[in-house]
Amino acid sequence: MNDHSITEAFVLVFKTNINNPRQVKSIATSLDNCPDILKWNVDLADIDKVLRIEATHAQCEPMIELVTRAGYACEELTD
Amino acid sequence: MRIRDASKEALIREKAIELIVNHGFDGLSMHKLAKAAGVSVATIYIYFKDREDLIQQVYTDESRKMTEATLINFDPDAHFDEGLKRQWINRMTYCLENPYSMTFMEQVKHSPLVERSTVDTRFLQAMQRFVHNAIDRKEIIPLPVEIYWSIAFAPLYQLVKFHIAGKSMPGRPPFVFDEEKINLTLGLVLKALKP
Repeated sequence: MNDHSITEAFVLVFKTNINNPRQVKSIATSLDNCPDILKWNVDLADIDKVLRIEATHAQCEPMIELVTRAGYACEELTD
Repeated sequence: MRIRDASKEALIREKAIELIVNHGFDGLSMHKLAKAAGVSVATIYIYFKDREDLIQQVYTDESRKMTEATLINFDPDAHFDEGLKRQWINRMTYCLENPYSMTFMEQVKHSPLVERSTVDTRFLQAMQRFVHNAIDRKEIIPLPVEIYWSIAFAPLYQLVKFHIAGKSMPGRPPFVFDEEKINLTLGLVLKALKP
């Protein structure tokens, strides 16, 4: 197995309507500045435009609020 | 929040390779992969940040496994004839045990999706030392590496492919790459590389 260490990060996964690199840029500042977020990316290749966040906690709501405040739809991608 | 599960992750990797081999890189999406592995899309994103990250990680992991398999009982200081035979046996065993992996690694070679320079250097170092020793000891002639590889290993891979496919030329019976045929081919290869 790959030994990518089991980090302390919580992985949160959301379905969004962030559609292109320009829109990704438009949410970058607020996500970059959020102290709870260690790493994030949007998978534009995926049909659900998945926003993946590695956070210091497991709460989805603050993240959803951040993204919706920037004007995008965002909901937890559930099983 | 979900917990990492090594066996689940291994299954996702395995299914990703199968999807790519059977349907090409475009045939792999996180949704198709989730379906094939029987996990949710969200679960896949725990382990991989996007499709490219997935492909890169799978490649890195497969290349490490292949390296380890290739270097089993291989002594880079051995006589060229001995060393090449060991290489052939190791590579062939690996290919036969992991036919999907072998095809995947070939697809990746020609794909811009994967950064190959991140690969384990142990393999390259061992093989370079092996060849340079052999040249210094005048066991083989010096050749441009592409030509060396094409003579030393391409016949092996082609015959392994015939063996896995179970067929070769039209009208020929199924090809079985048995020990006799391995030794026959290896003998010709060694002859070609001798000074």
